[in-house]
Amino acid sequence: MGGSVDSATTPVLEVRGLVKEFPGVKALVGVDFDVRAGEVHCLLGPNGAGKSTLIKCVSGVVEPTGGEIYLGGELLPVGDPAASLERGVATIYQELDLVDDLTVAQSVFLAHEPRRGPLLDLDRMSKETTALLARLGHAGIPPRAKISSLRPAAQQVVSIARALSRDVRLLIMDEPSAILDEGEIETLFNVVRRLTADGVAVIYITHRLDEIRRIGDRVTVLTDGRTAATGLAASTPTNELVELMVGRAVEQLYPERPVGRGEVVLEVRRLRRLPEVRSVSLELRAGEVVGLGGLVGAGRTELLRLIYGLDEADEGEVYVDGTQLPPNRPDRAIAAGLGFAPEDRKSQGLLLDWSLTKNVSLADLGRFQRGLLNVRAERTAALEQLRALKTVPDDPDRRVGDLSGGNQQKVVLARWLLRHCRVLLLDEPTRGVDVPTKAELYRVITALAEEGLAVLVVSSELEELIGVCTRILVMREGELVFEIEGSKATEHELLRYAVAPTESEDFIEEVG
Amino acid sequence: MSLRRLLIAVAAAALLALGAAACSDDDDEGGGDGGANAAETTSQESGSPASGGDGGPVTIVASVPPTDHGWLGAISKNAEEAAEQFDDVDFRLLEAADSDSQAQQIEQVISDKPDALVVLPQDGEALTPVAQKAENAGIPVINVDRLFSAPDAATATILGDNYQIGVSAADYIGEELGCQGKVVEIQGLAGISVTEERSKGFTDELKKVCPDGGIEIVAKQPGDFNPDTGLKVMENILQAQDQIDAVYTHDDDMAQGVVQAIRNAGREDEMFLTGVGGSQDAMAQIKEGGLYRATFLYNPSMAASAVNMARLVALGEGFSELVPPEVPRQVIVPAATVTQENVEDYEEYAFN
Amino acid sequence: MTAGESGAPAAAIEGAGAQRRLGGFALQEYALVIVVVLLFVAGAILKPDSFPTWDNVRNMLTQASVVGVLAMGMTFVIATSGIDLSVGSVLAAAGMFGGILVDPEGSTLLFIVGAVGFATLLGTVNATAISYGRVVPFIATLAMFSIARGIALLLNDKLPVSLLDLNGGSFGDPAAFSLLWFGTGRILGIPISVYVFLGITIGAWILLNRTRYGRFVVAVGGNRQAAKIAGVPVRRTIFSVYMLMGVLVGVAAVLLCARLGSASPVSGNLYELDAIGAVVIGGTSLAGGRASIVGTFLGVLTFALIFSLMTQLDLSTEVQQVTKGAIVLGAVLLQRPEARL
Repeated sequence: MGGSVDSATTPVLEVRGLVKEFPGVKALVGVDFDVRAGEVHCLLGPNGAGKSTLIKCVSGVVEPTGGEIYLGGELLPVGDPAASLERGVATIYQELDLVDDLTVAQSVFLAHEPRRGPLLDLDRMSKETTALLARLGHAGIPPRAKISSLRPAAQQVVSIARALSRDVRLLIMDEPSAILDEGEIETLFNVVRRLTADGVAVIYITHRLDEIRRIGDRVTVLTDGRTAATGLAASTPTNELVELMVGRAVEQLYPERPVGRGEVVLEVRRLRRLPEVRSVSLELRAGEVVGLGGLVGAGRTELLRLIYGLDEADEGEVYVDGTQLPPNRPDRAIAAGLGFAPEDRKSQGLLLDWSLTKNVSLADLGRFQRGLLNVRAERTAALEQLRALKTVPDDPDRRVGDLSGGNQQKVVLARWLLRHCRVLLLDEPTRGVDVPTKAELYRVITALAEEGLAVLVVSSELEELIGVCTRILVMREGELVFEIEGSKATEHELLRYAVAPTESEDFIEEVG
Repeated sequence: MSLRRLLIAVAAAALLALGAAACSDDDDEGGGDGGANAAETTSQESGSPASGGDGGPVTIVASVPPTDHGWLGAISKNAEEAAEQFDDVDFRLLEAADSDSQAQQIEQVISDKPDALVVLPQDGEALTPVAQKAENAGIPVINVDRLFSAPDAATATILGDNYQIGVSAADYIGEELGCQGKVVEIQGLAGISVTEERSKGFTDELKKVCPDGGIEIVAKQPGDFNPDTGLKVMENILQAQDQIDAVYTHDDDMAQGVVQAIRNAGREDEMFLTGVGGSQDAMAQIKEGGLYRATFLYNPSMAASAVNMARLVALGEGFSELVPPEVPRQVIVPAATVTQENVEDYEEYAFN
Repeated sequence: MTAGESGAPAAAIEGAGAQRRLGGFALQEYALVIVVVLLFVAGAILKPDSFPTWDNVRNMLTQASVVGVLAMGMTFVIATSGIDLSVGSVLAAAGMFGGILVDPEGSTLLFIVGAVGFATLLGTVNATAISYGRVVPFIATLAMFSIARGIALLLNDKLPVSLLDLNGGSFGDPAAFSLLWFGTGRILGIPISVYVFLGITIGAWILLNRTRYGRFVVAVGGNRQAAKIAGVPVRRTIFSVYMLMGVLVGVAAVLLCARLGSASPVSGNLYELDAIGAVVIGGTSLAGGRASIVGTFLGVLTFALIFSLMTQLDLSTEVQQVTKGAIVLGAVLLQRPEARL
């Protein structure tokens, strides 16, 4: 999997007894960790475990309170980003820190541009950028292209190229696959493999256990600021890893798949909105969890939005319990029993400044209003739903923006539960959520299905779809191309249908 | 790539310049009728007054500040009515929102080459440069009411004397109070010459007429020439002052608000009030007697005079009473003190 | 367990609610209360005979009532992340419209219906342009700012309309329900316009904080996408706040004309800035999503106190402007960083 791992030599990075205390919070309480040259070392742990703080200490953004960091055997001056940069530490963040209007070459050489006298040596910049990109297998990205014209996957490659331009020895990647789809992830892994073949050490933070198996050499699990286990082989079984993270035995990540009953609750007929959705028909039964798989850009989110009425369809109808929904009316969809949890829960699902109560009650305020709003009843009802979903913290007066991703997702679900909806449309519900919370969300979803809800879930994690869904539909370029029972599906087969046969490897299309 | 962009930019700039030059030579902004243009072209040379004598109409453009006020409204009306009296005058009135817009408007008008320009500047100093420009372009300017700050900015000037108004007010109030008492001054819009002169005239004259300092100005606040501001400001002053003997306001319209405040407080017997401008409301109240005792005015009819003067200048003629006939460089319209005794004489000039 | 909605300052602010935030928002509103108290104390010290009297308090509240009514409506508009720059001009136009309806003869009722009706009409024009025409609020209301002022000047050929005939009784003692009575009449020693202002303030608070509509308004401003997904009728809500603003502008016009005894085409000049200023220093965010009626009320009081104090002290215009700016800046700085939009 990795490159040439040499256990005899000094590790590229060694962290001993690292401690970091913020006022009131102990983020790290003694972390031991090491990374070897040419290795892909995965860092795993629930949100709040300290992964972010750890890598910030290594990159110099944060100054640790105690402990030592050694790079290539030398003690690293802490709290000094320039020092870490000089010694070859580079970080690729989830929200790529690239500027839209700069070109690829400008971004790669930002802050250390080659000069000829007082002026920039544009020619050299261009040539060297292409050389760096070639090392990553992406010589095709034009150095003069603007960042905004590249797809996220290509932008990520540019970020990595920038790290390379500074002779990186240790590359830290923070959940890089979050913005990519299956095809792009594999390409990313190829890039990583090239780097490790050159001897670069990589720290790879992820929540996706399957990725650890595919690309990692060793794994370190962090919980509550300590190292729960370090140096494990990447082939360690999932259950063990989850147990280490959660601190107790977890039966399994995926609960039993719901079976689904007879009656059709949601029927979609020839729904179309060019160019994203090209005539889709499907049925959803009560008690089912139906997964919608496919690549980014296949039209899955657009389909959900059409069903819910956020966008106007060119053609087609949606029926709930046999009655047709008026098009383009989310309020009527809600009244008929639909609920929608959008892909970007922060910017579209929730009002971050508001309390939990107000977010939960927003779709169903009529219930609490007899003339005036009965705020006490509202709060009680919200609390009930939040508790049922085991939201942490469940204080209905907290500001929802303060909660973790997984718990925010629970607030969104609570809103629809309050409304007793019949059909739930979920778009990437576990994105950015840590593993223990994912397990909880799976439980919740299947429990809801067992109570009679019908759920349509869009997800880019094939393993997740297989684990949870009654049925899986695959969408490709606006159409449904495959359907299979969850129990019979394999990742390979799903991927095969998701990728169009004529699609090229080159994902650097201009964004239209 | 960047060379191409540079060329495009240069071409665009050239096009813009060409377009601007073409547009500024353009005629009609829709004001006068087509016949006007024929006459305009003959009135080119600087120094010699223009054209109309060859049979075409005399084009006069008037530029005034925003007519948000009765007195200014009367000015506009008077100017228009005066122009209508003549068959040979093509008249256009332009209102501007503020000094800058007025300057811009006049600049545009200059390129139309009217035969004469009548200007009541929002602020004399600010509009002096553009008036000079007009004069240099051969367009005679008649300056109304608010004085430009340079003598070569206008061919003739007609104004009321704001300073004199202040002086007359001080004389009146000083006499009525016997040089003993507390006075409140409600000014106009702070910062413009009209206000400052009316205020200065008042304070200077008070010192002369009542040198012992028996008259105390207990409050001096701007009312913005606006009745609701006058109302609010007077309400507060009434709160702060137990005893007020007289109120000197800079404007009749604004004074209505001040009067209302005094009435609402039930203190109209305690003091009397003077205004400026000569509005019908003011005249009516002065006639009735009581709170409103006097107003000082210079007649908005001076606008009509200005238009007449403009026409004469454009035709190369002058006041027939003067030997030889010419248009005098400065005409000062006197400020009249209007009280209950003589209000009937002035009623016909009241603007309403 | 938590303060919930029981703490008055927390309850007054739509969009807060967390115990952790309780301290912060409370500080912001307390900050304004402190400013108000300080101003009053300053006035009491500097003008002990005239400032701290019932008469003066009545006076200030009366003066505050016109802008106050406007500010209440403006709070709703700004909460949807919109703005209304036309309120001063519409106020003048509404007054003038009512005025020509009753000139030379008419009743107080006709005047009120005319003024409020016309203002509502203009507000509806704004609402339509913004919610259905998709014109940006700044631009749409800027256009109305001009148009309404033009209408005000045109209706009576740039002249004011006297409304003194709509009075019965005498000046110190206007007949009940005559127009002047709305301006200067009193019940139990408190002027009618103050009752109107306070009544509208309470009504606004209830509407914003205790009805579904109020939630919708703040949701639309806070996150339009999320509101739409949650089923909030976004377009209707936006339409309604500008129409509501129109109604309140009409009411404010009646109050002003009642005190002036006439309808003036040049009144209401720049009132929109006073209204917006009061709303903003009160803590309502210009970006939308967070609004406070109590804050707006305190903001209005702050400006009224400043004006009254400075006029009574007979400060020159220049000093007044600098002082007012400094006080506003101080009030804003005392608030939490997030509130300083």
